[in-house]
Amino acid sequence: MNDVRIPLHGSGQSLYVAQEKIYPREIDGRFAGLRTLSVWVLLGLYYLIPWLNCNGRQAVLFDLPNRKFFIFGLVFWPQDFIFLTWLLIIAALALFFFTAIGGRLWCGYACPQTVWTETFLWMERFVEGDRNARQKLDRGAWSASKLLKKAAKQALWVSFALWTGFTFVGFFAPIRELSMAVWTFSLGPWETFWILFYGFATYGNAGYLREQVCKYMCPYARFQSAMFDHDTLVITYDVERGEPRGPRKRGTDARAQGLGDCIDCTWCVQVCPTGIDIRQGLQIECIACAACIDACDDIMDKMGSPRGLIRYTTQNALEHKPSRLLRPRVLIYGGLLSALVVGFVVTVALRSPVSLDVLRDRKTLYRLTDDGNQVDNVYTLRILNKTEHEQHFRIEAHGTTPLSLLPEREYTVASGDVYSLPLRVRRATYDPVGAETIRITVRSIDDSSIHATTDARFLAPAR
Amino acid sequence: MNASPPPAENTHELGRRARGIAVVVWSGFLAAAIATMLCFAFLDPQALRGGDTPGWWSSRSHVYAVGFFFFWLIGLIAAAICWQLARTGRRNE
Repeated sequence: MNDVRIPLHGSGQSLYVAQEKIYPREIDGRFAGLRTLSVWVLLGLYYLIPWLNCNGRQAVLFDLPNRKFFIFGLVFWPQDFIFLTWLLIIAALALFFFTAIGGRLWCGYACPQTVWTETFLWMERFVEGDRNARQKLDRGAWSASKLLKKAAKQALWVSFALWTGFTFVGFFAPIRELSMAVWTFSLGPWETFWILFYGFATYGNAGYLREQVCKYMCPYARFQSAMFDHDTLVITYDVERGEPRGPRKRGTDARAQGLGDCIDCTWCVQVCPTGIDIRQGLQIECIACAACIDACDDIMDKMGSPRGLIRYTTQNALEHKPSRLLRPRVLIYGGLLSALVVGFVVTVALRSPVSLDVLRDRKTLYRLTDDGNQVDNVYTLRILNKTEHEQHFRIEAHGTTPLSLLPEREYTVASGDVYSLPLRVRRATYDPVGAETIRITVRSIDDSSIHATTDARFLAPAR
Repeated sequence: MNASPPPAENTHELGRRARGIAVVVWSGFLAAAIATMLCFAFLDPQALRGGDTPGWWSSRSHVYAVGFFFFWLIGLIAAAICWQLARTGRRNE
């Protein structure tokens, strides 16, 4: 038998490379502008939404202690959990759909990791200066000015992170009361904890981990390639046009010198937030932020060459084949997505504000009255009042012949409560002969548009 | 820019372990978030209250938070065992 040794620390080949700090060079351009816009819109929504009011209460509040979700005019109860699941499925399909068409649009423009990293970079740049200044500062010895700069950056980061954590908790607890509690130092232990927790996560992820989250922790990055095909937009370096790369004097004919359009200035590498060289081809680390496109376009303008040496394109286009937007993958994702969105909107709009469950008594099928002329069936009814107010309900039952209810009375159900009650339904024994399906309706006396109906089986002797 | 010096052996090892821990913590966190959401969507802690429930059970927020950390702990254990099993053992290559 061979001498096989079990390595105690895995094999020598590591899955990971040691991380070098990346100093992305700042860049202006079309796509940087788009990302800035996206940061403002998304973070603006995040920080403002909890402060909006609607119907005299916080417009968006996931009130976990009271098990109610308020989303503008709508109230969702735990029984509406299906809608949340539905919404998550829609979100996942939307991600598939947009990935199939536009590649990693999510990563480059919308992912919270990208958006918050961008803001933390702005703060870093604001205090420590541009890329060269930051590298110099980090290399240099500790001095009063370095200490001051680092302290100022930390102060900005920490305050922004705490504000982020506070806003996050503000989605789950009324934010105005929360801000009063912060002001008077009377925050509860859990609120304090979650503010610090989310604040710390923001600080760590956006301040320090940055692109490592995308490279080592993000599950989406690992499976997004499954949604790609040869017609998906990717950011690519045009090898045919760019190679062989090399420096040249401005205004000289590169072709005459046997060179492509790439002047090997490495700006595309310096601006990359994940520190890759896009010229080596599509790589898993690329979050499609398009910073390299902006950088390269800038250089091409200066060199007097056409833009687009690095650009959004498809693999088919690079191979001089026609690109198609509508293809089975896109049609299937798009079709499913539209069906789910329409279904969701319709279902939410038609959602009944009251729900009714009817359970038959399993112990006895039916019971005849003493004279045998009438037959009783017993049910347990569960009424859920999903409105925001107390409701008084009356119960009706309809069959082929008149039914009487015992007891006949009103039921008061508080907002959000489930009310269980026994109900005895009675009719003539042989009219109609045998079992039938009856309809049981619960209707609000306060507002007759609030009602729910459920079918139930009524059992009776056949002869 | 591309010509970075080869990393020293000990920083290399540390980075690998640190990232392993990050992956374990993070995947446990994701699992815990899903488990907490599903669990408390169907179970109301208030409805489960009885004579034998501990004192901290009195508030839903407490139960949610304790529940979350409980699920995170379970997720951490599963992810840590998974990581340990996947990176050790006999390789047939």
